[in-house]
Amino acid sequence: MCLAIPMQVVAIDGGSDDVLDPQVALVESDGIRKAIRLEMVDRIPMVGEYVIIHAGFAIRTLTAEEAEYNLDLMRRMVEMLDEDNNTSGALQ
Amino acid sequence: MTQVISIHPVTRIEGHARIDIHLDDSGQVSDARLHIDALRGFEQFVVGRPAEEIPRIVSRICGVCPWMHHLAAAKAIDGCFAVTPPPAGNLLRELCHVLAHIHDKILHFFFLASPDFIFEPDSDFSVRNIMGLVRREPGLAAEVVRMRQLSLMMLERIAGKAVHPVAAVVGGFAKPMTGEERQGLLADGRILLDFACRALRYAKEKVFCRFADEESALNPITTGFLGTVDGQGNLRFYEGLLRLMRADSSVTAFAAPDYASHLSEWVEPWSTAKMVYASAWNEGFSLDPDAPRGIYRVNTLARLNVCDRIATPLAQAELEAFRARFGRPAQGTLLAHWARLIELVYACERVLELLADERITGPLIRTPAEPRAGRGIGHVEAPRGTLIHDYTTDDNGCIVRANLIVGTTHNIAPMNMNVRRAAANLAVKATADAMFLNRIEMAVRAYDP
Repeated sequence: MCLAIPMQVVAIDGGSDDVLDPQVALVESDGIRKAIRLEMVDRIPMVGEYVIIHAGFAIRTLTAEEAEYNLDLMRRMVEMLDEDNNTSGALQ
Repeated sequence: MTQVISIHPVTRIEGHARIDIHLDDSGQVSDARLHIDALRGFEQFVVGRPAEEIPRIVSRICGVCPWMHHLAAAKAIDGCFAVTPPPAGNLLRELCHVLAHIHDKILHFFFLASPDFIFEPDSDFSVRNIMGLVRREPGLAAEVVRMRQLSLMMLERIAGKAVHPVAAVVGGFAKPMTGEERQGLLADGRILLDFACRALRYAKEKVFCRFADEESALNPITTGFLGTVDGQGNLRFYEGLLRLMRADSSVTAFAAPDYASHLSEWVEPWSTAKMVYASAWNEGFSLDPDAPRGIYRVNTLARLNVCDRIATPLAQAELEAFRARFGRPAQGTLLAHWARLIELVYACERVLELLADERITGPLIRTPAEPRAGRGIGHVEAPRGTLIHDYTTDDNGCIVRANLIVGTTHNIAPMNMNVRRAAANLAVKATADAMFLNRIEMAVRAYDP
């Protein structure tokens, strides 16, 4: 199962009229920044919103509220595994 | 001293894949392994939760193909509560399912796969990506984006504007379709079908011609296949029998609830990832590319191999031409891309078929369901392969046991065989040059893991 961890958009770059200068989102998670292409996303995110990424492309924009809900589900899932003393390989 | 070359991250592959190529003292490839990180823990996480919540929770966690998990879970919970959706509910679910296939296939083929073949494999990375395609074929690239958006907008019109799908509910579907909506969707469905046919024509002229060279460089593997068919052997995405084909083309069919009698799980000592093999063949498990045991593939090529025919005319004509050229079962790894576009044509034709069915606008879309103890196994064909959700509930309708097999899980074993073959064939004296590594990645990308 692929885990769709929402990543927060910290900046939007590019996007002049030139088709060869597409908009790119800079996303951040745990201090790591990545440039993510936006051609395939359902709507262009605003800074502070989140995106779900598939193979280097943002495919879905989430509001901060939606993303927090998903992240909370994932955190609880990991906590539950920790409680079961089964952390090795939990999130491989 | 031995050396390990790691490809990490694997470009244009979802998140957490790593390929390790092991070299011996003389620089020859001694082994190659693909590690796919998958989520574990979902099965424990859902225990104790009300079953009807599962279709909504799973689509939030597996946000890459949320519709697939949403629908497989809904089908499974129908089974737990022993309800059957009315015809309209079932047709609306399947319509959402094929539309989700359409946007996924467009994304994968044009954005992730085609740059490998439109450009020379040794061309610069800055060219061999989607921006290279935009430069060379600006009209096509713009249409690709438009068509994917169109399929997403059609989904929203049917299922509501939700980031995460919620429309499939236990016993059916949440919202009926009006006659007016149906007419609009039919018109848009014809636009999608027209695009799918042109996309396949384009790929045959510009993309697939490169396959023969690349395929021989990869040195294909020989495996069995798993997919879904109806009672007449027609290709199916949303429901039907699972059909397991051996490499010699002999087949056995079984209903999804019997999956554990045919398929078993396996964990290799070097990996924590769950693999699945065909235990019904009684030959054990081996990843040796020269003598594989129990290994089958799922996904686009597998589905076209196991079906006898496709029940829609344009896709059937393409399947016949494909089979005349590559045989049955076709084994070439890269043929998964060709199969993907034939499936795109089928999915578009199926959208029109479903919308042509008068029952789809029926007002009765949901069968009332009461929480109860039971077991339900729901399966769909997802873009990445056969997806199985298996739940057991207690008297209150809460989950007491869950098991999931997702498409990529079936394919981890054959992908590993591919990586070994490709690495051994390409690297007589391996150097970690970009072209060598990209060729190995191409084998993995064909599976769309």
